[in-house]
Amino acid sequence: MLIFSLFKTLTDQTVTVELKNDLSITGVLKSVDQFLNIRLDNIKVLDEARHPHMMAVKNCFIRGSVVRYVQLPAQHVDTQLLEDATRREAANQAKR
Amino acid sequence: MSTLQGYIDRRVLLVLQDGRTIVGVLSGFDQRSDIILSQCKERIYSMDDPVEEVPLGLYLVKGDQILLIGEMDEAQDNAVDLSTIRADPIAPIRY
Amino acid sequence: MWPLTLLNSAQNKPLSVELKNGETFNGHLVNCDNFMNITLRDVFQTSADADRFWKLNEIYIRGSTIKYIRVPEKLLDEVKEDQHRAREAQRARGGHAGGSRGGRGMPTRGGRGGTRGAPMRGAARGRGRGM
Repeated sequence: MLIFSLFKTLTDQTVTVELKNDLSITGVLKSVDQFLNIRLDNIKVLDEARHPHMMAVKNCFIRGSVVRYVQLPAQHVDTQLLEDATRREAANQAKR
Repeated sequence: MSTLQGYIDRRVLLVLQDGRTIVGVLSGFDQRSDIILSQCKERIYSMDDPVEEVPLGLYLVKGDQILLIGEMDEAQDNAVDLSTIRADPIAPIRY
Repeated sequence: MWPLTLLNSAQNKPLSVELKNGETFNGHLVNCDNFMNITLRDVFQTSADADRFWKLNEIYIRGSTIKYIRVPEKLLDEVKEDQHRAREAQRARGGHAGGSRGGRGMPTRGGRGGTRGAPMRGAARGRGRGM
């Protein structure tokens, strides 16, 4: 849930998504859902010469289950806040 | 899933987890991202031969098989001469 | 349109089902459920390498093993038309029954003495609101 919230704060930022088939796609994060499915706008595939398959694709929906990494813009991630939120969540879970 | 709604009745590129690429019109989807794709054509890429388009008809694809769905810019797609394109197929995913 | 709506209306239609392991099954749809578990009849099974074939009378396939299902192309338009007609009918029904919610349930119940209950309830509510 925390990661879902984090992604929501990053809408309209540029991210790079690396898929489990080694394909990397850079684009503007448009939306994300509970499964961490991702909508990217204005996409660019890394190593375009080897991947002409998506030449005519401008925006896409990526299934959350095939994402290996998402490279985030560091300046837009408040890690201190994230750490605190993580601790809070862990504490809440321990209480239950 | 709100994220696929904008693609309804649009021409899309579907990439499956086994690396196959299919273009078609998105006619429906559900919570699990199972999709209905009509007027499907599989695009088969190869380093040795031009891109081959195989008509497949109406498909119902399970969500767990989907890698990516992209909206096609039709003008740009029509401008590409597929017979000049040589490329390896998209790699299947590895766990 | 929901994928399961399409599949449900494919009953008795020919389908081609490819499993995640590459095997395909061609047959007529007998039944399906919300997990996309399906039963097919008069089936031709093809091995993943398309080398071997089997003929089966009936088979049950677990939905989670399916990669995709190929459906007759014209089915999509048929289902779209059905949905459109159903929507039109609903709108027509809702159009002249003031309260479409009550209107739908009434006729069946009204047959056996519901006529007495319904107006009473309506009147009571009307009075309550007035005060």
